[in-house]
Amino acid sequence: MGRLNTAYGVVAIALVCLVTLAVGSFGLRLSRTTSDFYVAGRTVTPYRNASAIGGEYLSAASFLGIAGLVYTNGLDMLWFPVGYTVGYVVLLVLVAAPLRRSGAYTLPDFAEARLESLAIRRLSTILVVGIGWLYLLPQLQGASLALEAVTGAPGWLGGLVVAVVVVANVAAGGMRSITLVQALQYWVKLTAIAVPAFVLLGAWFSDGAPGPAIARDTRWEEPLNGLAGQGHPVYATYSLLLALALGTMGLPHVLVRFYTNPDGRAARRTTLTVVALLGTFYLFPPLYGLLGRVYLPQLPDGVAADTLVLRLPMAMVSDGLGQVLAAVLAGGAFAAFLSTASGLTMSVAGVIDQDLLRRRLGRLTGEDFSAAQGFRLATVLAVVVPYVASRVVEPVGLATMVSLAFAVAASTFCPLLVLGSWWRGLSTSGAAAGLVVGGTLATAAVGITVLAGPVPGWPGALLGQPAAWSIPLAFAVSVIVSLATPGRIPRHTARTMVRLHTPEDLVLERG
Amino acid sequence: MSNDARTDDDVYLGLQQSEEFAELRTRFRRFVFPLTALFLAWYFLYVLLSTYAPGFMGHKVLGNVNVGLVLGLGQFVSTFVITMLYARWADREFDPRAAALHARVEEAHR
Repeated sequence: MGRLNTAYGVVAIALVCLVTLAVGSFGLRLSRTTSDFYVAGRTVTPYRNASAIGGEYLSAASFLGIAGLVYTNGLDMLWFPVGYTVGYVVLLVLVAAPLRRSGAYTLPDFAEARLESLAIRRLSTILVVGIGWLYLLPQLQGASLALEAVTGAPGWLGGLVVAVVVVANVAAGGMRSITLVQALQYWVKLTAIAVPAFVLLGAWFSDGAPGPAIARDTRWEEPLNGLAGQGHPVYATYSLLLALALGTMGLPHVLVRFYTNPDGRAARRTTLTVVALLGTFYLFPPLYGLLGRVYLPQLPDGVAADTLVLRLPMAMVSDGLGQVLAAVLAGGAFAAFLSTASGLTMSVAGVIDQDLLRRRLGRLTGEDFSAAQGFRLATVLAVVVPYVASRVVEPVGLATMVSLAFAVAASTFCPLLVLGSWWRGLSTSGAAAGLVVGGTLATAAVGITVLAGPVPGWPGALLGQPAAWSIPLAFAVSVIVSLATPGRIPRHTARTMVRLHTPEDLVLERG
Repeated sequence: MSNDARTDDDVYLGLQQSEEFAELRTRFRRFVFPLTALFLAWYFLYVLLSTYAPGFMGHKVLGNVNVGLVLGLGQFVSTFVITMLYARWADREFDPRAAALHARVEEAHR
């Protein structure tokens, strides 16, 4: 393997960061009202919105993580991309329309409007911030890994670069500037992963298309081989799939995108385009995993499989070309970190500002601060905490980390959203109990997995992929407690339900 | 104020208890809930086949391409088809009915 020329990589990454900032500041001039700031004035066209969703959704886990997982663990890992895509469809058919009609901007807004309870709002706020941080963590870790792999920079730098660019963009421009940036970044990412893939495939064919050197384990090609260290691969795969399918709706940065659609028709067009865009992108990461098996059967010690995508070009084609391709991939990877981190930061900062900071700041300063200052402070908070955590917590793999965020989201917001929009009998106590039980169980399982490392046998499988038991449990608790406390059903439930299930321009809006 | 709120709630309650609204909701549930169950089942079936029918999944269709790979890529295609089915159904069946209900309520309210 030739030595990587640092200059190309630095240029590519710097270019992506600068373009992000430039497009962001262009959007700044367009964003005028509060609605512009949070949901881009609901005026984004379906195709641009779909590109933005694709841009936001394809994170470090998609760009680097999946290839790394396929490379180490085999083809089961294709479940990640399938699950990521399916989550959108579940979100669309079950909750997108009622949520948009609720007129709420954020998950806590919806929770409060539906359940008429401040306590539920606070619980949701804590969960949004927690899930957001859990998802930001691997983005920042990925940035550090990528920068280190491509330029040899120290490990703390990559995450810091992403953190600074994201804070600058979000604090300045809000949702509209972010939408433009993310729409652009989808196409940057697709190009950056597809073009090198075709060149590398060409190189592979001209080598006579050799088969993979299965150095480590002959089971690599078999499905559900249990290589991921899961003793119970069928359970683990099911649980993962469930977490991804039901967790997408609980991710704060995903949901807000459905508010940026003007109506239901546009929301459906958007989702259809998103599925096509994601499906196209996801053809490529497994290809890198497979080529990695052929050309880099053994990664040097201490090298994370997550950097496989970046290392592959240098191992396959001549030095000059390899360096250019590696730089293109590094730029694409940074586009992935930046766009996902921007969306997450936007959502987390919005919630921190609105629910946690505003009143306290007001008290501390005697109302001597502007709304924009409060939001900027919230933005910094939203990024600093996961950045510090990313330097302290031992990396467990980008895609694994992301799937844990999905598991927590699926165990908390999925029952709240599905029951909240479809069941009149949901009581305030029931919803609260579901959030607390689902949140505590999933978070505990995640905490043990991340901090204590893998546990053997069934307990390990259950803790590593909690979704399959924590989601049904959260649903059951919500329903049982609701049935036991019929007196705590919110007073205006009938009214809210009609509002959630009839077209938004309905006459009753004027009531 | 409180008086307004009550009449307002009554209007909502009336609408919720109306036959048209009930029909609209039933239609939605009859289409969407089975669709969701069906497509989740289809994904889970793939996992089951991979585990318990490796011979079938490994059957070569063309060159090195086996049934498992075709079905795997088919998952993306089927996701797209499902979304398209839903979008078409909502455009053709659901939205016009909801709009008609809307118009009727508007009329009655005048």
